[in-house]
Amino acid sequence: QQTTEHAPVAKFLPLELIDKCIGSRLWVIMKGDKEIIGTLNGFDDFVNMVLEDVVEVEIAADGKKTFNKLDQILLNGNNIALMIPGGPEPEKYPEYFR
Amino acid sequence: MNNTAKKGPPRKDSILELAKFMDATVRVKCLGGRELQGTLRGYDELVNLVLDDCDEFLRDPEDFEKVTDNTRRLGLVVIRGTQVSMVSPQEGVEEIANPFLVAEEE
Repeated sequence: QQTTEHAPVAKFLPLELIDKCIGSRLWVIMKGDKEIIGTLNGFDDFVNMVLEDVVEVEIAADGKKTFNKLDQILLNGNNIALMIPGGPEPEKYPEYFR
Repeated sequence: MNNTAKKGPPRKDSILELAKFMDATVRVKCLGGRELQGTLRGYDELVNLVLDDCDEFLRDPEDFEKVTDNTRRLGLVVIRGTQVSMVSPQEGVEEIANPFLVAEEE
């Protein structure tokens, strides 16, 4: 029989939130000026991620965005800074959806 | 009777007590120079964070060290603890004049 300790504060565990995102769109913002938007297939303890139907966005110093389409990728978790479940909103960021 | 199952190291050994920042507006600086501000909704012992209504402060295109007041809205975000360099509460923050200038005395 397993006894679990429950934290007194009701809060979101970050990796649980990412886990809920499996199967949905995820917007990953890297440490540098690169972003990846894809459907999350899974991730590991180091937050390396497998994503599919991926759009890779490279942002130049002047703000210009370059988009590359990729099929299924393994994204190295080393440089992942932020993860946004649901992906960018089309109304706010229409340029990502061309 | 002693519990023979191994429990491992105690949780929340961090010197930073994020519990007191829960549901407060915090400013997070990341290793690459990114700055974010949002409401702290969750965290773990590795300092992965969940921020709600998060905005990212955009950097000056000429000088990447300088952060402007322009923001872009990101919404609900998870920040990787490995990339966090600073977490501070927004409350009590104010811009001040340079306190390190030595006053000239005549």
